[in-house]
Amino acid sequence: MSEDRARILNMLAEGKINAEEAERLLDALDSRASAPAAGAAAGPAIKGDPSALIAALPKFLYVKVDGKKGENVDVKIPLALVRSGLKLTSLIPPQAMDQINDSMSEHGMSIDFNNLKPEDIEELVSALHEMEVNVTSEDGENVRVYCA
Amino acid sequence: MNAPPYLIDMRIQAPEHRFSLWLPLFLLWPLMLVFGVLSLVLTILADITLFLLGQRYHYYTLLLLGIFATTTELRGTTIHIRDNATLVDLTIK
Repeated sequence: MSEDRARILNMLAEGKINAEEAERLLDALDSRASAPAAGAAAGPAIKGDPSALIAALPKFLYVKVDGKKGENVDVKIPLALVRSGLKLTSLIPPQAMDQINDSMSEHGMSIDFNNLKPEDIEELVSALHEMEVNVTSEDGENVRVYCA
Repeated sequence: MNAPPYLIDMRIQAPEHRFSLWLPLFLLWPLMLVFGVLSLVLTILADITLFLLGQRYHYYTLLLLGIFATTTELRGTTIHIRDNATLVDLTIK
């Protein structure tokens, strides 16, 4: 097994990337390996070290709020924490989970965490990578949520 | 799995006072290790008991390990809040 392949699989095992990202990276690695044999007409191939591709994956979730009077809030959360936290929900005792769901529903968030499956979590975190929310209010407040 | 956070850097600046805290969490690691091992033993015993009693939920050990794993992922979190007079900065390293 090549060093790059082992590194990608290690990142998958450590939860730093999800299965879909690992597949993309392995595909990129395979296409790079087959490119010299297949010639220049082969499919897309990455040049050089794939670590640049790995490093390009988003690692943090950012929440930025700019208020109208100059106040601002910047929050940077590792995506691994989001993934790990979501996975933790599947291990919370059912009684506690019911209380959490009730409390969230009282506050207007009707999310049933009992229905959240591990594959949904991977899909959710993967979708976060491409998500960007920009909200600008009439009085000049600006809220931005994105991954980078 | 990553290492747990080793430092919390917190700064609060307000017109009337200024507060800066550099909390070396790595000094608490030995204590946390003892606490973690004791908790692990307790949760394993609880899980075995719950399993033998036929309870459907017997995953307290996994829950504890999950909490530990989530804690280790806190590294890199930063919170920065600023208004005209006050600044709050929190960084977990």
